[in-house]
Amino acid sequence: MHKSMINLTINGDEVDAVVKDNLTLLDFLRDQLGLTGTKKGCEEGECGACTVLLDGLPVNSCCTLAVECNGREVTTIEGLARNGQLTPLQRQFIDKWALQCGYCTPGMIMSATALLNTNHHPTELEIREAIEGNLCRCTGYAKIVEAIQAAAAEMNWEEA
Amino acid sequence: MHKDCAKTYFKKPEFYRLTGENNYVRIDAEDKVTGHGQYVGDIMFPDMLTGRMVRAPFAPARILSIDTSEAEKLPGVKCILTPKDFEWKHKVGNGEFAAEFADKEVLCTEIVRQVGDDICAVAAIDEETAQRAVDLIKVEYEKLPGVYDPFEAMEEGAPEVNWEGKGLHNIGMQSHMCAGTDIDEEFNNASYIQHRDYSTHRMVHAAMEPHGAVATYRNGTYNIWMSTQMAYVDQFWYAKCLGVPENHVRVIKPLVGGGFGGKLDSYSFGLCAAKMAELTQRPVRMILTREEVFQTTRNRHPIYMHIDTAFAENGKMLAKKCYHVLDGGPYGGSGVAACAQATLWANFPYKLNSVDFLARRVYTNNPAAGAMRGYTACQVHFAHDLNMQYAADQMGIDPVEFRKISAADPGYVAPAGLHITSCAYKETLDTAAKEIGWYERKDKMKDGEGIGFAGTGFVSGTGFAVLEAPNQSSACVQVRLNKRGMCTLYIGSHDIGQGSDTVMTAIVAEELGLPMDMVKTFMSDTFLTPWDSGSYGSRVTFLAGNAARRAAVDAKRQLFETIAPIWGVMPETLECLEGKVISKEKAELQMPIGDAMFKYMTIHGGDELVGVGSYYHRTDNSQYNGENTTNYAPAYSFSTGAAHLTVDKETGVLDIDEFVFAHDCGRALNRRAVEGQLEGSIGMGLGYAVYEHNITKEGKILNPNFRDYRFPTALDMPKMRTFYDFTPDEEGPLGAKEAGEGSAAPVAPAIANAVNMATGVYFTSLPLDPEHIWRAMNGMEDDRHSK
Repeated sequence: MHKSMINLTINGDEVDAVVKDNLTLLDFLRDQLGLTGTKKGCEEGECGACTVLLDGLPVNSCCTLAVECNGREVTTIEGLARNGQLTPLQRQFIDKWALQCGYCTPGMIMSATALLNTNHHPTELEIREAIEGNLCRCTGYAKIVEAIQAAAAEMNWEEA
Repeated sequence: MHKDCAKTYFKKPEFYRLTGENNYVRIDAEDKVTGHGQYVGDIMFPDMLTGRMVRAPFAPARILSIDTSEAEKLPGVKCILTPKDFEWKHKVGNGEFAAEFADKEVLCTEIVRQVGDDICAVAAIDEETAQRAVDLIKVEYEKLPGVYDPFEAMEEGAPEVNWEGKGLHNIGMQSHMCAGTDIDEEFNNASYIQHRDYSTHRMVHAAMEPHGAVATYRNGTYNIWMSTQMAYVDQFWYAKCLGVPENHVRVIKPLVGGGFGGKLDSYSFGLCAAKMAELTQRPVRMILTREEVFQTTRNRHPIYMHIDTAFAENGKMLAKKCYHVLDGGPYGGSGVAACAQATLWANFPYKLNSVDFLARRVYTNNPAAGAMRGYTACQVHFAHDLNMQYAADQMGIDPVEFRKISAADPGYVAPAGLHITSCAYKETLDTAAKEIGWYERKDKMKDGEGIGFAGTGFVSGTGFAVLEAPNQSSACVQVRLNKRGMCTLYIGSHDIGQGSDTVMTAIVAEELGLPMDMVKTFMSDTFLTPWDSGSYGSRVTFLAGNAARRAAVDAKRQLFETIAPIWGVMPETLECLEGKVISKEKAELQMPIGDAMFKYMTIHGGDELVGVGSYYHRTDNSQYNGENTTNYAPAYSFSTGAAHLTVDKETGVLDIDEFVFAHDCGRALNRRAVEGQLEGSIGMGLGYAVYEHNITKEGKILNPNFRDYRFPTALDMPKMRTFYDFTPDEEGPLGAKEAGEGSAAPVAPAIANAVNMATGVYFTSLPLDPEHIWRAMNGMEDDRHSK
């Protein structure tokens, strides 16, 4: 398998790596960089557990090749908290009990982060549409939606 | 302290400060929102190998030859296991008492019984090499005639699926529950009798985390990190199958990304990972693909149910007979208990004079079925509640009132030996009816509109301990207090996502009057934590929670017996509250727990304080090997689900406007945790009722992925409201009963009853997808369920 040299930004840090051309971004993050917060649920782009932000937009990292990310910016769940401070969304997931087994949680938070980055006043329907590609088998989604709503309200309050 | 201890030192409700509200968060929440939490696939060792299984492409078949020579030559392949590596050892089963009936080979030596059966295993330097090696292993098969319908499997001359030559007609397990008054007389005296048939389909757990194991072999010990619901049972079977004593097998449960019953069985892939770690002297990681999870783990039994019911003129249910046939697939494992439970649920949640329930779990060549959230309660309650609804309609009685006429009451003892303790079933019915607006709406329903109810009951703390245990205990817990008053908690119970680690921590913190962060919890490691039989049968909160409470109380008692003489008071007059030991009688007597512990250790020569607690529920196991009239559990939970929906009669599409859920879980130990369980139950129940269906052809699942096997997304969920403030259970830990498993049962029948009302068609099978509804409304037969 042909290999390529890539240079990209991951969670704010510049990374140089040699990767096989068929290596997925998911396996690159998990196996090569040890960033195991991004989860592997189906490896075919159906469950959303592997969602990361690529140049700010949510993508399934299992369906994205590492070589495609050359020169681009990747944010994973490990990159959200800064200086030991969780984001409002992460805190609301904790406070609202918006997780159970937690396996979908990183992907769910990444999709919701992408939503809140561009839409500060999402409706419930917009929230549900934003996380539609993130399957959760435990919660029935109610507490997840509530946590995202609470985070949006908190961020609006901080803006004001 | 054990179950029958004096309860002198149990904290009284007026001193509860932590449980019952939302005063604490999950102890694993921060790890889970930051991505730091470690699931089995996240465990890394520098020299770790990747494992893969070679699986049968069809079944049944006879293995004629296995040729691994090409694979062995592939650079990077470090180990190949063939059936020879396990053939002289034990098969895998479930309960220890029936270990001789274990029926699954680790690797198939001669006969392949289901598609995806384990044939060989490979360990290589990376996934790609391992998969190439799998592809290079040549297995020659001779196809054999298979049987894919449980009724055909029971016929004379049908191909034998397992236990060949034993003359079982593929009946792997049979349970008969027969009790009460003369049933023929009850039917003779009845004023209304009905005979109904129902069937359910195959569904999978679809936990978001695929099954997996990581194994090392060091100092003569197999260390296996396992995505499991019962590490101790895995330890038992792994030791047997690896041919070593249990003290050479350490099973550790890391975070588990959902189980729902699918991680109860001891699977071959974990055993192969362990064996290959031994042979290569390197760590081996084996994570199943999603397709493997669908095809080769377990699924929910399809069940065919015939029900005869006798009612008195006033609508009181008098007696019931039923015959349940479970499609078990070729193996027993966790599915064995499903058969007995399929008779148990037929009792609930009603009073009956007489019962005659027969269940057969039949071997077929379909994918093996096992435990799944409710352990057949979802199937049985679907059929038996629709049966109630049909009777209510035939007798012209309001469906809520009709269910109340026969509803179980607190203290009821069923003919089958079941002792109901707390029971708020009638209250759940009333709550659901009021909240869904039944009485205002029922006479004004529009065309295509429907409201449906379903009432169910479930065990809270099943007694069956799977492995033989002293005093039939199924949970033991230890706490240790140090000189600062910090508590270390050792629990064997298995948090698979439901939050039981947090609940155990909260129970201990409550009893010891400590904040949550003063209790450090260690869990589910067979070399470190005390025995616990696992997460199944809604046993964790009730049994392990009661054990945790007793461990904390045992520590408290010892502390009080040391401090009381210093203060010149009786130890029973002390309590732990808000970080202090206090006197309940003299307000001036109080001391921080850290100081009290320092004193305790000073007086006791430096000994830290250790408290031990255990809990059991004694059954006679007759559900598996005898009369089947035993009290399965120390308590029972009760639920009513209510759905309001409309059906588009042109397309058959459902629009579920609202789902109301009333669940009697005793006293909730955390409100949001209980709500999360109930809401999740609605999600899974909705999937069962409307979306999810494993389609198989000759035992092969044709939709083994989330594109073709669709379960509800955030956009599919209805508005949900949950109600759960009913009576605390006297024996439950701090008043609690189960909230996460029985709650899955009423969802599908409530939706089905609402669809019945909306369409005027009495559906008798699932799922109620648009095509199924449309066909039924247009008078076409349901051709999906062969019999």
